[in-house]
Amino acid sequence: MSTAMNFGTKSFKPRAPDKGSFPLDHFGECKAFKEKFMQCLRENTFDNSKCRLQSKEYLECRMDHQLMAREPLQKLGFKDLMDPPPSQEGSKP
Amino acid sequence: MLLPLLLRQSFSPLLTGCVRALHGSSQRTLLSQGEHLLRRRPASRLPTRNHSRKSRDQEEEWRTRNKTVLTYIAAAGVGMIGLSYASVPLYRLYCQATGLGGTAVAGHDTDQVETMKPVKERIIKVTFNADTHASIQWNFRPQQTEIYVVPGETALAFYRAKNPTDKPIIGISTYNVVPFDAGQYFNKIQCFCFEEQRLNPHEEVDMPVFFYIDPEFDDDPRMARVDTITLSYTFFEAKEGQQLPLPGYSYN
Repeated sequence: MSTAMNFGTKSFKPRAPDKGSFPLDHFGECKAFKEKFMQCLRENTFDNSKCRLQSKEYLECRMDHQLMAREPLQKLGFKDLMDPPPSQEGSKP
Repeated sequence: MLLPLLLRQSFSPLLTGCVRALHGSSQRTLLSQGEHLLRRRPASRLPTRNHSRKSRDQEEEWRTRNKTVLTYIAAAGVGMIGLSYASVPLYRLYCQATGLGGTAVAGHDTDQVETMKPVKERIIKVTFNADTHASIQWNFRPQQTEIYVVPGETALAFYRAKNPTDKPIIGISTYNVVPFDAGQYFNKIQCFCFEEQRLNPHEEVDMPVFFYIDPEFDDDPRMARVDTITLSYTFFEAKEGQQLPLPGYSYN
């Protein structure tokens, strides 16, 4: 559909990712974390909200093995998983 | 510019004659009108003093009036030319304001990821599609067919690529989001597109895509009925000195 060169029809314009490209995990260093994430997805009928912890762990593994630029996890949208004190957990929606 | 002047000079005695005839018919009877018309011909050849002054005044009046009319027409012409030049940035602004033609409505804020709140009521199914160009021999497929996300929440998805051949192949990919309107809300934090990825012989890798859907997706009335978004990646072979072929274009 993006091949339609008609004037006025909507066409898709790809955008570059915000933080660039992931380097390839040639050695499979984070494969275990990926498997855990995929397992969690299969168990929870592919609901992403339930598997956020596993995705956070996968990204942390990538950062540990220099496969991703290290960044505070709040910047990656994991702010809600970062609250350590249990007293605050109740107040968070 | 000269042509109307010439035309005017040839037509002015006719015009003045017509005007005089019209004036005459409103004030005099038919007989006197006939006399007036008969008298018109000798009047043009041997003009009397009163008639010549009146016709000259009228001619001057006609000339000034025609000059102003021509000035207005010239100004309108110049205005049209200027408008045709100005239409390019004006149209661009209009497109940005209304989102016609697929232009991005506004750039999204990268700090938004930190502060955005997930809209938990709106569940969207994201399906994944993987394609390869005919010339690349990779096996490329998604590792999950679909995933349910909510706007404002970051999500992770995986693709797998395998190089079954005996030589390293460099691939480069691009993506597509359907429906197109939803594409502006689909933000990728990090993925594997637009950069060359090299796979050694018989190597298999996992390729993650880390994305989120903008929480403003829920506020857009045009997206009210959109429940499924399809993310489609296409891999092409990258050769030395070859540009990435955009989907839909053929370079040879």
